[in-house]
Amino acid sequence: MYLYLPVALTSINILIPIGLGLAVGLLSGLFGVGGGFLMTPLLIMFGIPSTVAAATDSNQIVAASTSGTYAHWKVGNVDFKMGLYLLVGGFIGGLFGVQAIKVLKATGNADFVIKMTYVLMLGIVGTYMFIESLASMRKAKKKGDVKLTEPTQKDSAFGRFLKSLPLQTHFEKSGVTHSLLLPVIFGGFVGVLAAIMGVGGGFLMVPVMVYILRMPMHVVVGTSLFQILFNCIEVTFLQAYTNHTVDFILAVLLLLGSTVGAQIGTVFGRKLKGDQLKIILAVIVLVVTVKIVFELTLTPSLLLAQGGGH
Amino acid sequence: MKNFKFQISNFKIALFLSLCCAAAVLLYCSPSFAELTIKANHDHITIDFFYHGSTVSVSGISDPGTDLIVKIASPEGHQALRKKGKAGGVLWMNVGELKFEDMSNFYSLHSTGKPDEILNREEIDKYVIGYPAINRHAKISPVANEEEKNKWFDEFIKFKESSKLYSVSSGKISRTVKDGKQEYSIKLDWPYQAPPGDYIVTVYAVKDKKIVEKAETKVFVEQVGFVKTLFDMAKNKGALYGIISIVAAIGAGFGVGLIFGKGGGAH
Repeated sequence: MYLYLPVALTSINILIPIGLGLAVGLLSGLFGVGGGFLMTPLLIMFGIPSTVAAATDSNQIVAASTSGTYAHWKVGNVDFKMGLYLLVGGFIGGLFGVQAIKVLKATGNADFVIKMTYVLMLGIVGTYMFIESLASMRKAKKKGDVKLTEPTQKDSAFGRFLKSLPLQTHFEKSGVTHSLLLPVIFGGFVGVLAAIMGVGGGFLMVPVMVYILRMPMHVVVGTSLFQILFNCIEVTFLQAYTNHTVDFILAVLLLLGSTVGAQIGTVFGRKLKGDQLKIILAVIVLVVTVKIVFELTLTPSLLLAQGGGH
Repeated sequence: MKNFKFQISNFKIALFLSLCCAAAVLLYCSPSFAELTIKANHDHITIDFFYHGSTVSVSGISDPGTDLIVKIASPEGHQALRKKGKAGGVLWMNVGELKFEDMSNFYSLHSTGKPDEILNREEIDKYVIGYPAINRHAKISPVANEEEKNKWFDEFIKFKESSKLYSVSSGKISRTVKDGKQEYSIKLDWPYQAPPGDYIVTVYAVKDKKIVEKAETKVFVEQVGFVKTLFDMAKNKGALYGIISIVAAIGAGFGVGLIFGKGGGAH
């Protein structure tokens, strides 16, 4: 059955967005990512204009992350305090990122920098997570450890430096003690990159929480979703208000799948161990990296595209 | 006096008769006077939620033996598209924008024979019949030379054809002669990708490589009902539309969470 999308100005078989929503929502509930890096290109592939695809995706992520945050909150996996500081940092970083884009566009190098940042970030994060979680899984296997431990704060120079920062506070839910500045600074760093790349930044925020803030993986997923929810509310509003590119009907079709997918993902996530979750996410990130590298090197079938967005 | 009046009325009759004769001679000598007509059976296409394109039949009457060209096009205008190129000679990415002027967003051309076989070049260019004529008529910028213009024009056609907005065909118009008149018709698939707006449907009658007559009608594509309400709201009341979209998404997220939550629980 086909439905006409009033803002995208195209008609689509409703099974496509519902199916895509289900698949990406599942990943969202499992790993705490919004899934924009998967959903937006898929929507474009099915004939949705790129600007509408990106804006509408943020709208449906609001639904999926509400559903996912709620599911994780119910099982005690959302660190609201940490999420709030990350949000503050992310918001400030986002403002800087938008300015950076303006400067890049003025110099005419925007697209190159955006694509390169994207590929490098995905590649580095994916490879690091893959190697680290593989090593961690092997170690656990050797020890015959039944319960996998999450990475613990090593007493390294970096660790000592973090402990010496002012405004130390305990994050009860995550079971870690950090300076308040830490989530704000790293949230800001992700915010800058996310704004430059035009993505939600979940795939960057998750490694920051795991490897720098040393939070347990399950709390990372819930907290990341909480943070993504607020980011996407802001982005949806701005896109609807300034660009008029949110397609409500497409968003509803997507969220029919993604809200259910996020719930199923959360259930599955509980059955998987932290390192298993990390390694699967690492593989997905690496597959997307390879796909983008192919897109960048193979001659595209069409050399023209609709204007707007990136 | 009576004689004078009689002479005047005689003169009037003679003048009327000679005018009639002249008109008959003129009509007889005219190269084509069988009126060319055009009718689109579906001239008001409404877009509702279940719209997935439509069909439009264009038909009419023409002089027997004339070739016909049916052109459906949106008004000419300006379009800006992003172009892809190799950055640093290696990586494909967007490398700028191209402006296409005096080109229609939608162009569908159907003829009884190939345009360059049934029409001469001047006529093709004058009425912008077919892709080569559009290329000569349009402006593309910025391009360094004619060769580059041709390259990007070909890419433009490829892009438009991929979204079904441009199409050309020959030999699909059916013609039958009845009572000394030629009836023609063609049934066309109307793509759902064609945006709302006015489309001009023109039929050209062709004889001796020249266009001897043309007739026009319109196809009006319009969003209706809730589709229109949502479109208008998205364009004109962005803030309200955004808030509704967000609230609906949060509501749906919570709703599904509650439904699933009943069966779940903390661990």
